[in-house]
Amino acid sequence: MITLWHYLAVSAALFGIGLVGFLTRRNLITMFLCAEMMLQAVAVNFVAFARHHGNLHGQVFVLFILAVAACEAGVALALILMLYRRGKTLDASAWQTLRELGVPPAVDTDPLPVETRGEEPRLADAGVRPEPAGEEAARV
Amino acid sequence: MNPFSLNPTQLAGGQIALAVLLAVVGFAALLPRPVGRRVGVGVASLVAAAAVLGVFLYTTFGSPSPDVLGTVLFYLFSAGALGFGAVLVTQRNPARGAIAFAFVVLSTCGLFLLLAAPFLMAATVIIYAGAIVVTFLFVLMLSHAGGPSDENDRSREPLFGSLAGFAFTGLVLFTLYLTRVEATAGESAHRLPVPVVTADEREKLADALTRIDAAAAGLDGDLTTNRFERLQKFEALRDAVSAVVGASPDEGGVRDGSVRARLEKAAATPGVPAVLYREDEQARGVLRRAATVRELNWATYKAVNDNLSGAKPDGAAAKAELRRLRDEVLLLAGAADLPARNVGNLGYLLYTDHLLAVELAGTLLLVATVGAVAIAHRRRGSDGPTATPKPPTPHHPA
Repeated sequence: MITLWHYLAVSAALFGIGLVGFLTRRNLITMFLCAEMMLQAVAVNFVAFARHHGNLHGQVFVLFILAVAACEAGVALALILMLYRRGKTLDASAWQTLRELGVPPAVDTDPLPVETRGEEPRLADAGVRPEPAGEEAARV
Repeated sequence: MNPFSLNPTQLAGGQIALAVLLAVVGFAALLPRPVGRRVGVGVASLVAAAAVLGVFLYTTFGSPSPDVLGTVLFYLFSAGALGFGAVLVTQRNPARGAIAFAFVVLSTCGLFLLLAAPFLMAATVIIYAGAIVVTFLFVLMLSHAGGPSDENDRSREPLFGSLAGFAFTGLVLFTLYLTRVEATAGESAHRLPVPVVTADEREKLADALTRIDAAAAGLDGDLTTNRFERLQKFEALRDAVSAVVGASPDEGGVRDGSVRARLEKAAATPGVPAVLYREDEQARGVLRRAATVRELNWATYKAVNDNLSGAKPDGAAAKAELRRLRDEVLLLAGAADLPARNVGNLGYLLYTDHLLAVELAGTLLLVATVGAVAIAHRRRGSDGPTATPKPPTPHHPA
């Protein structure tokens, strides 16, 4: 039998994972997804308590959480789009000029790894008669 | 099992601390960074942390009654949610992160289903699946696939960030441990609260429902014949209902029904354990509902009796009375657990108790739509150096 406390513990762990992601990741879209994951954890809490108390008020609250999450998704994606247009990057640290007075800027010390790619395939130039390779019988 | 002879609080605290430590190590090793990312160490630590969390859950909260299927499904969905959440946080590719988030949502929907919330499961799948598809499209549109980048391959303070997040989780888990209901594996130590409607009463109410249906069917045809038999049916039906909810004072003295005797009188009776007494919202609601059924039972019997004994018996009116009684009895029978009509009851609750909140949510959606359009609106000339507005060319008619 799974009790209320099992659900509370799992949603606490899910909330913690989302919190870690929100604190550490720098991609705006990933941060947004982590915040949504924290909302999911809270929703599990509400539904578990609704089951525990035997009424539906917790489920109604989760419905409102869904509505607010939908609003949040719309506004957040509009904001992310604007920020991407301004800075051509999704990096949250690109806007660290907005930080508080007296806080030193975060500097990335380690260089990014350089990705080496092999030679990309090329097509033969158009409009040039291909060189016949050896003696080849004419095909009709 | 317990080599250090710890007391239970120390044991639980140690398990929580170990799980938190392993999770911090795992996430610190797995979070993206240019150098020093150790995938093997991270995955091993996270699996160990999940195992310790599972052991903590089992030893602390136990499994008092064997419900194998429910337990297996719960652990499956929980592991799915936590595992895909970890993938979302540690994955460098944001598109894969969005896919992992979709699986997190599906796993939580499984938990919703286990918690008897099918409508929420459907709504979450629909809304979040839509939102995820949109987000996914944004990711595809905005993230250039070429090479490592600052936003995907660097993290902000991986060690301290994970420490902050999981210290919070550990504190919550320890609070849960301190406030738990004592339960040991094998035997149930739960002091279970008294059920508001027992299975026996539910059977009696179901029997009353079939009697009501039979009585309603007996109202067809010529009502001037067989009056005595019909009235006998109604008397049997009245007695069946009042066995559960009690009888009205008009009927000659208050006889307590079994619901009221259990929920209200238990506190007054000496010798009955105090745990039997309930005064929560659910018990009060069931008592109110039982009182309604009691009044309605008597009123319906009287009305139908007068109707059928009168000179011009009216079958339709009697059927309407029976219909009202039937609805109330049905509601009382279903009051014990979460109602089976999840969607209907959610809608009822939304438009009675939470009407103002519904209106506010609608307003919020409207404002958010306007805000999103206002934010994302592309003004002419503000989008880069090439987008200088041209002066309008004058139109020359030939």
